[in-house]
Amino acid sequence: MRIDTARELAKSQGLEWEESFDKLTLLVGREVCKELFLSLYQVGFNYLPDIVGIDYLSYPDRQPERFALVYELVSLPGYQDGDGSRFFAKVFVPETDPAVPTVSDIWHSANWLEREIYDLFGISFTGHPNLRKILTPEDLEGYPLRKDFPLGETPTLFKEGRFIDPAAFRAGLSGKDPGLTGWRGGMRQQGEEAWSAIQRALKIESGGKG
Amino acid sequence: MNQAAREEVMTLNVGPQHPSTHGVLRLVVQMQGEKVLAVEPVIGYLHTGFEKNMENRTYLQDLTYTPRMDYLHSFAHDFAYALSVEKLIGAQVPPRAQTIRIMLNELHRICSYLVFVGTGLLDLGALTPFFYAFRERDTILDLFEWVTGLRFHHNYMRIGGVKEDLPPEFMPELKKFTDTFSSHIDDYEAMFAQSPIFLARARGVGIIPPDVAINYGLSGGNLRASGVNYDVRKAYPYGGYDTYNFEVPLGQAGDVWDRFLIRIREMRQSLKIVQQAMERLEPGPVRDPNPHVALPPRQLLETSMEAVIYHFKLVTEGYHPIRGEVYVPTESARGELGYYIISDGGSMPYRVKVRAPSFVNLQSLPVAAEGLQFADLISVVASLDPVLGDVDR
Repeated sequence: MRIDTARELAKSQGLEWEESFDKLTLLVGREVCKELFLSLYQVGFNYLPDIVGIDYLSYPDRQPERFALVYELVSLPGYQDGDGSRFFAKVFVPETDPAVPTVSDIWHSANWLEREIYDLFGISFTGHPNLRKILTPEDLEGYPLRKDFPLGETPTLFKEGRFIDPAAFRAGLSGKDPGLTGWRGGMRQQGEEAWSAIQRALKIESGGKG
Repeated sequence: MNQAAREEVMTLNVGPQHPSTHGVLRLVVQMQGEKVLAVEPVIGYLHTGFEKNMENRTYLQDLTYTPRMDYLHSFAHDFAYALSVEKLIGAQVPPRAQTIRIMLNELHRICSYLVFVGTGLLDLGALTPFFYAFRERDTILDLFEWVTGLRFHHNYMRIGGVKEDLPPEFMPELKKFTDTFSSHIDDYEAMFAQSPIFLARARGVGIIPPDVAINYGLSGGNLRASGVNYDVRKAYPYGGYDTYNFEVPLGQAGDVWDRFLIRIREMRQSLKIVQQAMERLEPGPVRDPNPHVALPPRQLLETSMEAVIYHFKLVTEGYHPIRGEVYVPTESARGELGYYIISDGGSMPYRVKVRAPSFVNLQSLPVAAEGLQFADLISVVASLDPVLGDVDR
């Protein structure tokens, strides 16, 4: 089984395994992870279905670093000599320097998976060919899946002072307030003007009846 | 036309609102005449932050988020989430509930493939199959309405079982459907598989070789169309799939034609599983009898104080699983789907990561579509079967 090859490989480098709910996880140091992944790829772990980003900020157990990435490695059954070995490799990433070497040159599937983590956790991947935001709007500030990202009624900040105020947003949806999105520092006035302009235009279109 | 005009590279924007992108997908296409030089998918228009939301709800409340991602095969998402949480808290699913789950999961898979066949061929200009496929799909949605009360987001899955037993009228109705559906599949196949127009549009178009498909993390029907025999139901059986008898159809070339045909053949296999499940359905409980896991039966609440207490504790607080990380791979209509859940011992998951098959599958679009005509790009998008709710989450 390829998992035994992986075990030997990890043993030769002095790496540790942990087990949780029938799931094997190899703890890999950030400095050696690229080399290790390359040699794992060469021994037949040809499939990388997922990379999970984790922020351990408020986790009760003490962890070595704040962030962690979990790579899922599979020797794909059903193609050539793949035997279905499957395990996870966890790489801890420090908060002060959140950067990891990319694996998108080994497995292309990592391309978007790494972009997603860059977008939602703010961990950058050195050597990534196209490291840009992928899911959130271009001008969203902050990293939503970090545990200190504001929740609930806190206004959502965008660049250049634009923000979404939840209360005004809801009022805007019900048609009672011009709300929707506002601007910090008096820009709400302009929003109101635009709103009344739209109302006027609608009135004219409906022949003064509406 | 002079040489300069012939070599001019044009950038064309497709979407995000476009009938053939199956949702809110935007494609930035570099074109030279009709030839596609490069495609760049732009996604995120449906990003709703489900993962963040789920971290701030209890394990039971999270079941309302799971079906909203892949809205075409939502039962698979419910199933995958329930399996992960059941592993986390050690719930036991009774045999009847297991059979019901597999039966409805396969029924919903057929439903999802019907949308694929209907809308995919609609993109190629074939209007007729759409109406036939949606006729049968409506029958399936009606069946789901019998069982769950809803046609789309069923909310029928529970941790440790299902919400309630099947109504007595359901099985005869399902029998009527399964008896006739096999011939309907033949109809769909006859409608397009050997049509010269379809062959010209699909044969040898958008080829993804098996090694490229694996490297790009493709899964599900798209991977099997390239000839890779990987089906999570066979490779890592879950929820009782190892006791069912079915085959994994494989393609050869990995082109659009194969990706369409694979889905037709898989519908036959799913139908086979549904029929086997119907035969082995025995009366019995449909939820884990452990009151710490599943809600007590509704009628008990009127007579038993204990039941009220358990009900109250489960609804307000839910479970407190031990600390750990859990992942159960499953097979949805789009590929390998799984919920990576981290528990910190509290009643809400510390982190939920959805391994969304469409998100990873869509990456291979630039490889498959490079060098094709623009009209073929549309058929390649259709054949990859992305569901944008699943892509953006």
